[in-house]
Amino acid sequence: MTDPYTIPADLLYTKEHEWTRLEGSTARVGITEYAAKTLNDVVYLSLPSPGANLRQYASFGTIESIKAVSELYSPLSGTVKRLNTELQTRPELVNQSPYGDGWIVEIDASNLADEKTKLLSPDQYAEFLATLGK
Amino acid sequence: MNRTSLYDFHAANGKVVEFAGYDMPIWYSSISEEHLAVRNHVGIFDVSHMGRVVVAGAGATQFLEGLVPTASSSQPVGKSFYTLLLNPAGGIIDDIIIIKRPDDYLLVVNAANKAKDLEHIRSLPGSSAVSIQDITDDTTMIAVQGPEAIQALQPLSTVDLSQIKRFTHTRSRVGKSDATITRTGYTGEDGFEIILYDSGVRNSSLAASIWGDLATRATPCGLGARDSLRIEAGLPLYGSDIDETTNPFEAELSWVISKGKTGYVGDGAIARYGATPPQRLRRGIVMADKIPRHGFVITDPADRRIGEVTSGTFSPLLRKGIAMGYIDAPDSQLGGTVQVVVRGSPSQGKIIKPPFYDETMYGWKRTR
Repeated sequence: MTDPYTIPADLLYTKEHEWTRLEGSTARVGITEYAAKTLNDVVYLSLPSPGANLRQYASFGTIESIKAVSELYSPLSGTVKRLNTELQTRPELVNQSPYGDGWIVEIDASNLADEKTKLLSPDQYAEFLATLGK
Repeated sequence: MNRTSLYDFHAANGKVVEFAGYDMPIWYSSISEEHLAVRNHVGIFDVSHMGRVVVAGAGATQFLEGLVPTASSSQPVGKSFYTLLLNPAGGIIDDIIIIKRPDDYLLVVNAANKAKDLEHIRSLPGSSAVSIQDITDDTTMIAVQGPEAIQALQPLSTVDLSQIKRFTHTRSRVGKSDATITRTGYTGEDGFEIILYDSGVRNSSLAASIWGDLATRATPCGLGARDSLRIEAGLPLYGSDIDETTNPFEAELSWVISKGKTGYVGDGAIARYGATPPQRLRRGIVMADKIPRHGFVITDPADRRIGEVTSGTFSPLLRKGIAMGYIDAPDSQLGGTVQVVVRGSPSQGKIIKPPFYDETMYGWKRTR
C-alpha cells in the first residue's frame, strides 16, 4: 500500500508516532495516521487515570490491535487531565479519526518550554516517515 | 524471500509481511472486517506458502502407515484427513492434511515446517521405495471459506460443489486449471481449498486470474484474519499451540490416532501416553476484560500458576479477549474461573472447550 499519510501542519510529533496539539499548557495527544494504519484495527487501550504523572518519552499505556500490543509514549511531561472515555466502547475511533475523535489523552504540561523543542515539526516527522521501510 | 503466484495482488492491495520465508499479506483493509466476512459471508486466502508434497509409488500406503498415527489404508480414496507427524518421543513434528488421491497421497504441511518434514519423511525406512515430490512452487493453493463459499466458487467449477462432503475432495477444473477441490479449511467455517496444478510461481497468470475472479464475489483476507479465525475455532497453530514438546493427548488431538495402530514413528510413546491421563490440557479461555497473548501466565484465583497462554487475540465476533493455552489437568475443568496475568495484572477469565462461538450459529456445523 502506498497511500501517503496525513500529517497535519498544526501538530508536533514523536518518533514513536504520537502527535500533540497544544492549547496553552494543555496538550491533547493521540497516535498518527501512520501508527493507526500500521496497527490495523485498534481494539483495546490501557491508560493511566486522571492525575497520573507522565514523563516525556516514557511509556504511559498500551494500545492493542487484534494482532499486537504497542506502548504509548508521552510527548510531554505533566499530569493526565482527561481521557477520551469514548474509546472505551469505540476504540475503532483511533483508526477512523486518529487526529480527531480518536484522540487519547489530554495532559497538563509541566515543562512545556524546554520539552517542546525536543518534538518533531510536521516536516521533520514527514522526513522521519520517509526513512522507514514500507 | 519467497513469493507465491499471487504476490502482485498482495503487494498492490495489502500490507505484506514476511511469514515462514514468504512475502505474505497480513491484511488488505482491516483484520476485523476480513474476519467477519468469513464468519458471515465468504473470504479467500492465499495459502500457497503451505508445503505440498506428493508421496507416490506402489508402496505409498504402506509407507504412510509407518509415518502417521492415522490408519491411511482404511481411509477411502477421496478423503482429505487431518493427522500428525510425530517424533519417536510422541512429540508433534507437524500437523498436516493428507489428500488421498486415486494413485497417490498429497500432503499439505505447514510452510515453516516443510524442510524439516521432508527431512523426516526421507529419513524413514522405505522412503527410497516411494517417490517424494515437492510440488509447492509449481502449484497455487487458495482457501475459499465461509457460509457462502459454494456461491463464490461454483461459477468457476462444473462439478456440483454441494455434493463434495466435508473432509473429501474431487479432481476437476477450476476455471481453466486442472485442480483438486477439497472441502476443508482452517477457519472453522464451511469452505474449500483449491489446489491449482497448472499455475505456480513461474507461470502465475492463470492463478492470478482465478483469484481475481473469486475476489469479485469473496473478500480477500490476510494472515491476520486467518489467525484470529482459527483461534476462535479452537484450532491449534504449529509453533504456538503445538510443537515437538507437546503430545497429542494434552493437545486434545488424540482423535487422529487410530485405535490399536502400531508400526509408526512414535507408536511406543503414544501407547505410554495413552495409558495415563495427561498432566495438562489445551483449553480455551474467554476473558472478562483485556486481551491475552502468547506466553502470558495462567493462574488460579489464588494467584497460583497453573498454565500458560499459547495463542491469544481479540475475538472480532465476541468482542472479547480469547486465548488457548495449557492448564494443569486438575485445574482445567470447563467453566472454571482462572486469571491471565496481563503485563503484571491478573485479569479474570473462564475455561471453555473451543470453539469460542455458538456452533448452532457459526462454523461449518451451523444449523441456522
